[in-house]
Amino acid sequence: MSLEKKVGAALFEVIDPELGINIMDLGLIYGITVDVENNVKIIMTLTTPGCPMHDSIRNGVKHRINQIEDIGDIDISLVWEPAWTPAKISDRGKEMLGFG
Amino acid sequence: MQSNTSIKLPLAFILYALTAFVASQLILFINNDVLTTGQFRIPDIWMGAHFLVLGYAVMIAMGAMYQLIPVALLAPIWSQAFGFIQFIVTAIGITVFSLLLGVSPDHAFYGGIIAVAGIIMFIIQMLVTILKQKNKNMMTAFILGAISCLFLTIAAGFVLAWNLAEGRITSHGAILSSHITLGVSGWFTLLIFGFSYKLVPMFSLSHGFSMKWAKPAFLTYISGLLILIGSFWTKTQFIDSIGWFVLLAGFFFFVLDIREILAKRLKKKLDKPFSFSLIAIINGLGVHVLAFVFSFYGIQEVAVWGWLIFLYVMGWIIFSILGYLYKIVPFLWWTYKYSNKIGKEQVPTLREMINETYSVILFTLFIFSIAGLSIGGLLYINIMVYVFQGLLALASLLYMLSIIRVLTK
Repeated sequence: MSLEKKVGAALFEVIDPELGINIMDLGLIYGITVDVENNVKIIMTLTTPGCPMHDSIRNGVKHRINQIEDIGDIDISLVWEPAWTPAKISDRGKEMLGFG
Repeated sequence: MQSNTSIKLPLAFILYALTAFVASQLILFINNDVLTTGQFRIPDIWMGAHFLVLGYAVMIAMGAMYQLIPVALLAPIWSQAFGFIQFIVTAIGITVFSLLLGVSPDHAFYGGIIAVAGIIMFIIQMLVTILKQKNKNMMTAFILGAISCLFLTIAAGFVLAWNLAEGRITSHGAILSSHITLGVSGWFTLLIFGFSYKLVPMFSLSHGFSMKWAKPAFLTYISGLLILIGSFWTKTQFIDSIGWFVLLAGFFFFVLDIREILAKRLKKKLDKPFSFSLIAIINGLGVHVLAFVFSFYGIQEVAVWGWLIFLYVMGWIIFSILGYLYKIVPFLWWTYKYSNKIGKEQVPTLREMINETYSVILFTLFIFSIAGLSIGGLLYINIMVYVFQGLLALASLLYMLSIIRVLTK
């Protein structure tokens, strides 16, 4: 499995504490790139600007990726464009939230 | 944007407030015989009412604002150190002031000075914070409106306390009515309106709503406040009815927006405590309708209006706060305890920090207590007031314990 896929799989274990579902199914991760030195860049968003869980979720992403073997530096960019919309939730996420 | 306030600051306010809440309910329970007669203007009731409104509701609102301002306005709190000093000054001021209102009203003015100093410090903190906000929006308008009303409330309260000692002002009644209106309808209602525009979509996961009624709601509600206060000074029944009608219209516009936000929500099954805050909105609308109808038909009995104010405070303001607190306190504690553990180990969700079943029992108890107490009070049935005020005091105590229980998770 490529490192990018390992990072993606690991992020399924980071749960949004308010909604109780993982941030991948919630559609918060916009991009995962890994360079030749195994440095990871994550581009992500949150469901609403000013989300009080900002620091917690960002830390969660960092901590979880850190647990992957041979990982280099981790750079997390939080972006608001394009804005998160419910359309970004996966079918499984919609089911978990009760509107699938 | 993060909630970058140290959790100790909002928690200090919230814990003081919950203690004041229980104290207020116990004081009112001990004086239940006076409540039955509809005579609210006696020292012991003043003490209970100020522990409830200042000690509980104002302190909770301040604590919640320290937590929510960075979330709602995307601007950090100006100075947390100043916030802690403000907490100490305000807590001492409110405690001394409320106690003096009960035991020595002539000297309450001196406790009032300390409380006023604390509240002015809070206003300064919030104004500087708002000045730093980059993009002002309708939430800024609601919060600024609320803070202005808070300032005018304490100014009027200060004059009242001074007049209790000196007795030189003849328009004591008009000042008292203005004080209550600015405090209850102005400060709290505008504040709950403003934060609801952030919290309701956040807790219901709503997207794509318009907030098109926010501006009309703000302008209409402010106009209603001014007209109503004008009626106290001109002593004109007709203006009083217009004031209540305009306030009702403002509240209704707010309800239209909340209805749209909820219609566009993704989270179909809402958390129970949050639903309780939404029930409070229906209560608020209901009280505004009643106030307009009573005013229109010229009902002026002090007892009726006394119980209506009670319903306004408990059914709308306190219920809103009780519901939101069940979301805010678990968040604060979760952030403190688990924020650094997320991604490393299994951590509970916010919902797992509280016992939902227990919260439903508690909130049902609150609804029954308030309904029973109001009916008993309006019909002058002593035993009902005694039983339901006792139940309310018990519910308050259990509520406080349930919040403290979150802090053990």
